[in-house]
Amino acid sequence: MRKILPDLCLLAAMPLLVYSVHRVFLETPIERQMGTAFKIFFFHVPMGWLCMLMAVICGVAAGVQLRRRSAVAGAVALAAAELGFVTGLGVLLTGPIWGSATWGTPWTGDARQVTTALLWLVIAAYLLLRHYGPRSSDRLAAALAIFGAVNVPIIYYAVKLWKTMHPSTGVVASLPPEMWATFWPGLIALALCTLALFGLRTRQLVLADELDAAWVRLDDNL
Amino acid sequence: MDEVTPPASTATPPPDPAYGPAVGRSLADKEKLRELEGVAADKTARDYQHIVLAYGVLWALFAGYGIFLWRRSARLRADMNDLQRRLDQRAR
Repeated sequence: MRKILPDLCLLAAMPLLVYSVHRVFLETPIERQMGTAFKIFFFHVPMGWLCMLMAVICGVAAGVQLRRRSAVAGAVALAAAELGFVTGLGVLLTGPIWGSATWGTPWTGDARQVTTALLWLVIAAYLLLRHYGPRSSDRLAAALAIFGAVNVPIIYYAVKLWKTMHPSTGVVASLPPEMWATFWPGLIALALCTLALFGLRTRQLVLADELDAAWVRLDDNL
Repeated sequence: MDEVTPPASTATPPPDPAYGPAVGRSLADKEKLRELEGVAADKTARDYQHIVLAYGVLWALFAGYGIFLWRRSARLRADMNDLQRRLDQRAR
């Protein structure tokens, strides 16, 4: 069951994605203040949430890896970091596109933008260390991942702590019902896609570790 | 002296009580409205370009990562086949 779970997630995501795009373009009313560009919200916000979720998973798994020297935790942390990198890049690219349509400028340098960019840079540094650093850099990499996870609540509360142009934290809860009905299918579809890719990548990394170990054993026995 | 009656065509017909005076937007208002509608249509078209660009970026990222996973899978499979071949050679 665990083996086919990612495939099932991808299968379930496909019709939801189609339904969500249909709702976004044809069923959702145009927002009064921001106009048509508001439709970017329905994919930008889920990507932001998924990026934060992946950063938290990466931080927790890196902590476990640091404490128990678990290879599986290391694989989970690396897979989560890669998906955090992808979703973070998605947020950092779609945000300025939306900003340039509604604010007239792609980057205002407000707290949420800066903290999100910081998280993405931390994830990028973690990935560079894990892929190209020596074995001894695992501890430093794990510390970076934990720092990234600590950054997540700062991103979430940035709109309350500092003056920003981003809407407040309760914006999703205050959506009218027809927008609410568009937001959730998009979020669930993207979450299923991300989790499926996360599962596949984790399995790949575990398998790669096992293969490396098998090669070493074979060479030792020769 | 006989009274001169005006020709029938120039005579003002009596107002029909069924119809009121014509009221509505002036030509200037209509032109202004058309101009504003044009601005709104341009904004909507520009917004749609932004939306398509944003969605394109998102799906390109996911597709890119999917291709990366697929290539890694192919490399792992080749590595596994190599290992299997080496084990078979040793067993012989």
